[in-house]
Amino acid sequence: MKKTAIDRRKFIKLTSLGTSGLVLGFTLPGFARLATGELPECTFFQPNAYIRIDTAGVVTIFVGKQEMGQGVNTSLPMIVAEELEVDFQKVKTEIAAFGSLAEGAHDTGGSQSVTGSWDELRKAGAVAKTMLVTAAANKWNVKSSICKAENGAVVNAVTGRSFTYGELACDAATLPVPSEVTLKNIRDFKVIGKEQRKKNLKDILTGQAKYGIDIKVPDMVYAVVERCPVLGGSLLEVETSAAMAVPGVIKVVSFTGTGKPMNVRPGVAVVATNVWAAMKGRRLLKITWNEGAQNKESTAELFKNFTKIAKNKPAKSVHTIGDFDAVTSAKSNTFQAEYAAPFLAHATLEPMNFIASVQGDQCELWGGLQLPDWTVSDIAEKCGIKKENIKVNLTLIGGGFGRRLQFDFAIEAVKIAQQLDKPVQVIWDRSDDLRFDNYRPANYHRLMAKWDKSGKLLAWDHHVLGTPVEWSIDEKRADKLPSENLGGAGQDFWYHIPNVRTGYTAVDFNLQRGWLRGVEPVQNVFAVESFIDEVARKMKKDPLQFRLSLLEGYAPFKTSGDGMVAPERLAGVLKLAAEKIGWTNTRQKNHFMGIAGHMFFCDSYAAHAIEIEMLGPKKFRIHKIVTAIDCGVVINPDGLKSQMEGGTVFGLGQALKNEITVENSRVVQDSFYTYELARFSDVPTIEVYAVKSEARPGGAGEVGVATVAPALCNALAAAGSRPRRLPIKKDGYSWSV
Amino acid sequence: MTNFTLHINGKSYDVQAAPDMPLLWVLRDILNLTGTKFGCGVASCGACTVLADGKAIRSCVTPLESVTDLQITTIEGLSPDGAHPIQKAWEAVGVPQCGYCQSGQMMSLAGLLQSNKKPSAEELSAVMSQVLCRCGTYQRIRQAAQLAIDELNK
Repeated sequence: MKKTAIDRRKFIKLTSLGTSGLVLGFTLPGFARLATGELPECTFFQPNAYIRIDTAGVVTIFVGKQEMGQGVNTSLPMIVAEELEVDFQKVKTEIAAFGSLAEGAHDTGGSQSVTGSWDELRKAGAVAKTMLVTAAANKWNVKSSICKAENGAVVNAVTGRSFTYGELACDAATLPVPSEVTLKNIRDFKVIGKEQRKKNLKDILTGQAKYGIDIKVPDMVYAVVERCPVLGGSLLEVETSAAMAVPGVIKVVSFTGTGKPMNVRPGVAVVATNVWAAMKGRRLLKITWNEGAQNKESTAELFKNFTKIAKNKPAKSVHTIGDFDAVTSAKSNTFQAEYAAPFLAHATLEPMNFIASVQGDQCELWGGLQLPDWTVSDIAEKCGIKKENIKVNLTLIGGGFGRRLQFDFAIEAVKIAQQLDKPVQVIWDRSDDLRFDNYRPANYHRLMAKWDKSGKLLAWDHHVLGTPVEWSIDEKRADKLPSENLGGAGQDFWYHIPNVRTGYTAVDFNLQRGWLRGVEPVQNVFAVESFIDEVARKMKKDPLQFRLSLLEGYAPFKTSGDGMVAPERLAGVLKLAAEKIGWTNTRQKNHFMGIAGHMFFCDSYAAHAIEIEMLGPKKFRIHKIVTAIDCGVVINPDGLKSQMEGGTVFGLGQALKNEITVENSRVVQDSFYTYELARFSDVPTIEVYAVKSEARPGGAGEVGVATVAPALCNALAAAGSRPRRLPIKKDGYSWSV
Repeated sequence: MTNFTLHINGKSYDVQAAPDMPLLWVLRDILNLTGTKFGCGVASCGACTVLADGKAIRSCVTPLESVTDLQITTIEGLSPDGAHPIQKAWEAVGVPQCGYCQSGQMMSLAGLLQSNKKPSAEELSAVMSQVLCRCGTYQRIRQAAQLAIDELNK
């Protein structure tokens, strides 16, 4: 995939349109020529890249999207199995080999896996089923219409006789692949909508699941890397003799950094026969770096700068309805507030790691990648290897959250492997992982509202400021709108207000940024859903009813991005969350509730309602969290529940304590002692409710994150003190469950 | 490099390694027992938890030479077939998402239950709050832990 434009949504759209094991349309007839070269023997039927049925009847479904905890290794095969009419418990699943699908089809991000694969996977299943039915009809010499596929077999409705799929495999393999097939009626679904456990559950529970870090390639050695502490610096000198003296250390190699998109830092790699020796050697390196010119930046200064610039007109106007200025403040009540949220790290539990082997002009890679095609293109360009000579082996990922949309670690592995005659696995330690991440942008928001005496909200202004992802991975162009502008400044705004004005100002900062689960909606929804609550409270209105008054009865509309927002569906999840937490019930003493809702660009809507008990001025107990989601047809209810529980905990960590700070252009947090994640003791009861729907399925990986922080802050505001910056720990709040 | 004998999951292994090599890297890089995970290297996340004579330890900060006299149990040895009550409970509740931290979660609970068969909610939280899960499976860990505790106390 040639990828110069970096708008994530745009490319995900492009790639999911092009996705296709079907477009490739290849038929693997299953005739494997024998080693003797004599008789061809049929062993399986593979009508497309997603399905293989062998003559014993074993059905294998290949998963094109990368499994990193979000459950695509279960939800996607369920879609295929539904149309294929097979027992899902008996289905085997495998990672689709890189290259077995069209370019871009392995890309995994933007909560697009289900929504982007839905039509294609249903069709893939239906194609195979149709061919099996035709094969049976031909065998019986009857019309296909009297043959029915069910439970891995085709049954003759007249005679009651049946053939298993295994018995039909080799006949089906000789048939042409139909271009048109009939899909099942949603109401006839037997697999979709029924709870399924993860396909690799047993492997995980017995320690047999192999993540990228667990892969052992014959003859492989390990590398750990000391990187330039400041982005944009370079290596001046390195003294390696002490490191080389560590038993097990084989070699010390250095490599230069790369430019955009990944901005790999220059590094010195200690290569050893085991990770521990490499780690020990690294500590003994004596390196002199040229830190470059931008080595004095700090987040303290960045936020001061944000506060100052927020008062200016946005650099870019994004979304305008009516005329904000025409609503004169003399005739109206006005209110304004500012919100802030920090840089964040992904902190996947599996630290970054990647294996590369470069032998002559051939390169082979092993590891987890969310965007393998882009990775291959960029490695080809940055490391001088022909794209067609790069082989990729994709693996299970121990937590993604957007971290492996970036592939800096893979470039490092190749640069090191180019200086070795063996495969090498680069392993980052936790300090590397936290100090050299691709950070969720720091962001700042200034909002203003005006309303008349009757309590009608007349005007809304939102100035979003951020350190855009685009500027750190693409050209810095003032005329180009970073995708963040689509956030609260445009796409993430759904309340019916006659005069709206939003804009974005990008501020650069010498730190690599990247996409973190929930991306820009998480940044913007905190501000929007806090501010709408503030306005409601100023007017002494119930914050839920006030929101509903600006949503209910309004038709779906096109956003300033290219998505559609259905205000009624948003109202629906707000009402469901409110009902389940008991919004209208009499509150217990010192108990307070907050609510927030949003639409995520994966065509899903979610709300959180949180009940807290105040124990002191800034001390509270999280009593309960309820979340409601409307993502259309639910594929795997248990997987959806997991994603919403996980999204809630992810959002809760951000609300309470996640924060990356920078001093002298260096990230301060270097361990889980300083970059604090949500723990077991932070998590109360979380209840998940899904709206029953026949709408086309949306995504669930990210929609559970954004509304936690505003719902919690709105509950605290109900109790009398509103936090306007995250994490709230920074402002002296403490909590328990 | 020194020769050591380790007792892991009921078997003896002869290994040659630096005496200060953490048990984690012996398990992963030398013995290919990769069910025990590297998460932080400084005992801050619990992903590397194994049992040493029944006690939960963080293998990433435990030098090899300090455990040669102890019986080590890793996730691969918690049960031969995934049928330990903790594994059964984790399966019944469907705890994992990415699953990377889960061997550390289960081994930490196994260590607690060896010394305290019926921990209170506070005792359970004190131990399990030291094991991080980035996917946020804590609610299910709590449910599964309770299920395992109930099963063990039947």
